[in-house]
Amino acid sequence: MNWTQIGILYRRELRSALRERTIVVNGILIPIFMYPIMLWAVFTGMTFVQGINDGFVSRLAVDGPPPAAHSMLLDTIRGHERIQVREDAADPSVWDAQLAAGELDAIVSFRPIDAGALDDNFAVAVLYDRAEERSRQARERVRRLVDDYRTDWIAGRAESLDVDEAERTVFVLVGENVSSSEDIGQLLLGQMLSFFLVIMVALGCFIPSVDTTAGERERSTWETLMTVSASRSSIVTAKYLYVVTLGMVAGLLNVVAMMISMGAIVRPLLQANDEAIAFSIPLMAAPVMLAGATALALFFGAAMMILAAFARSFKDGQAMVTPVYWLVFIPILLGDQTDVNLSLGTALIPIANITMMIRDAIQGVFLWQWIGLTLAVTMALVVACLLLARQILKFEDFLMGSFDGSFWRFAKEKLFA
Amino acid sequence: MTDMSQATVRVSDLRKTFYDESRGEVHAVDGLSFDCHPGEVFGLLGANGAGKTTTLRMLSTVLKPSGGTASVMGHDIERDPEAVRRSLGFYSASTALYPRLTARETIEFFTRINGYPAERVQQRVEELVDRFGIAEYQKGRVDKLSSGMKQKVSIARTMAHDPPVLIFDEPTVGLDVMNALAMVKVIRELKEEGKTIIFSSHIMSEVEKLCDRIGIVHRGKLLALGTLDELRAVTGEHYLEDVFLDYVKRAEGIVGEAEIGPAGALHAAGDELPDRSP
Repeated sequence: MNWTQIGILYRRELRSALRERTIVVNGILIPIFMYPIMLWAVFTGMTFVQGINDGFVSRLAVDGPPPAAHSMLLDTIRGHERIQVREDAADPSVWDAQLAAGELDAIVSFRPIDAGALDDNFAVAVLYDRAEERSRQARERVRRLVDDYRTDWIAGRAESLDVDEAERTVFVLVGENVSSSEDIGQLLLGQMLSFFLVIMVALGCFIPSVDTTAGERERSTWETLMTVSASRSSIVTAKYLYVVTLGMVAGLLNVVAMMISMGAIVRPLLQANDEAIAFSIPLMAAPVMLAGATALALFFGAAMMILAAFARSFKDGQAMVTPVYWLVFIPILLGDQTDVNLSLGTALIPIANITMMIRDAIQGVFLWQWIGLTLAVTMALVVACLLLARQILKFEDFLMGSFDGSFWRFAKEKLFA
Repeated sequence: MTDMSQATVRVSDLRKTFYDESRGEVHAVDGLSFDCHPGEVFGLLGANGAGKTTTLRMLSTVLKPSGGTASVMGHDIERDPEAVRRSLGFYSASTALYPRLTARETIEFFTRINGYPAERVQQRVEELVDRFGIAEYQKGRVDKLSSGMKQKVSIARTMAHDPPVLIFDEPTVGLDVMNALAMVKVIRELKEEGKTIIFSSHIMSEVEKLCDRIGIVHRGKLLALGTLDELRAVTGEHYLEDVFLDYVKRAEGIVGEAEIGPAGALHAAGDELPDRSP
């Protein structure tokens, strides 16, 4: 291989790519701007919905008063500024229908309970529609009022019996969070960043791998390239390095954008809710993430190029690679959404292992032997892809665009025949 | 001036066999042999599907031969394909330009990738830009250029590394009259500069105007090889079209007014003629 020629071909690929809107959008702009826009949209949406829910007035029908000793509870419910007890809903036989029709948000009934020594005990039953946000909100408001009323009543009774607060507050559960604000931030970052980093590396490789193979055929520049004095291996190496570069760039831009977005958008919003979270990544996680992104880009680049190289048009190339892109989500979710750490077993699952490795590293967990195994497994896959690519390149009909533009047809005719 | 003393391109018993699902084994090129020399325009004349493009693709090392040998400037096409490609420029309707590069970037890329000395690349690019009148639009992206402009850039990129051998495979296909004439003019200039030119076409008038020697290809075989006058003398026909038809009919073993189909196949049978292969 001639590295001077590889350099010339590589620069040509990059120059062309950076002038292609689809590649720039998918490989650079989406990784940079997706998080700020997505996070802003999510938090704004949540705040908006919360505001709407808080503004709802819950419409209740009340079935019978509570025992006379507790009539104050009903007064409290009636007095709540966001609760309207529908006095016009006098006919209990139609309440269920009104609840189903959304004309009522909840039906509250007071039922006597025989509780031995305690006179006038009762239960508050709330009939509500869980499928409706307004109805759930009404139930929640009633629950809080009943809880507060119960607490006050117990305190009053305790006082009348001369039991002070220290005596009646026994057998309590005290929880203490040992996580620092950094730990919480790393937990969130680990889950989000590992997921999106893998997705973005795959997305970053997607369009360039199709463009540099099927796109060449479609533009009729494939044969032009075959007649330059560079060797076939130099041409393929340059194309491969170009795809890997854009995959890595997409992945790493994504990490930077995520860090900035979490710090600039999410942290202030959380601080406003008195939740102190610091978004930082352990220093040692940086090389692990870089190694993971590189290994993934090498793997995705090789696999996608092999499939797309058979296609005769960009569209066909996209059709060949798209299923692979979606299949990638399965191991990513497996790696990201479980609490299982990297281990001998999980390090053998491609893609899921890298996802876990990155997640663990961001959360400050470095299981070096399994990190090594993960990278070895991924690189073994890369080598397998490159060996397959070398076999494919030996077939001249592949270079001239045979096999109906399909890798599977090639595999059937040449590899498994 | 044609220097017949040394061959820049040597083709000996070159063969290419494909396997086609419906037709079985197809001998696209079946034992072609010819030499080309500096300052010569060698024409490969044949109907579509005759094997011209396959031959030229083997010469430019895009395809590997199934049999026989060929060399360009002494470099064997199988043993030293990179050196072969460094020694030739290949132009055809199927070798397009990179749409997202500018005209200048395109020429520079092909100059560099084909091994032109790095310190002289810019000077060479300037020469080509001047020669083909590309200066005005040299910074324009190829996909924004007219077909005539693209043709000039395409020729410039073909000869970017100043190769001694140039292959033009059906170079006027799809061009209007003015651009086709411009192409013919360029080929004549290159011949004057001493380049070896292999020119393939099915357009008789172009072959007649340009080529010093003509090889008539039919069903992958070379039916005839010689100057136009030599071919005329053998067939007794004046026009190249008639010369061509005469050879094809004889190859098919047909005499008379049989109709020839798109790939040179005869649609009606006639009397057999004695073999007159070169």
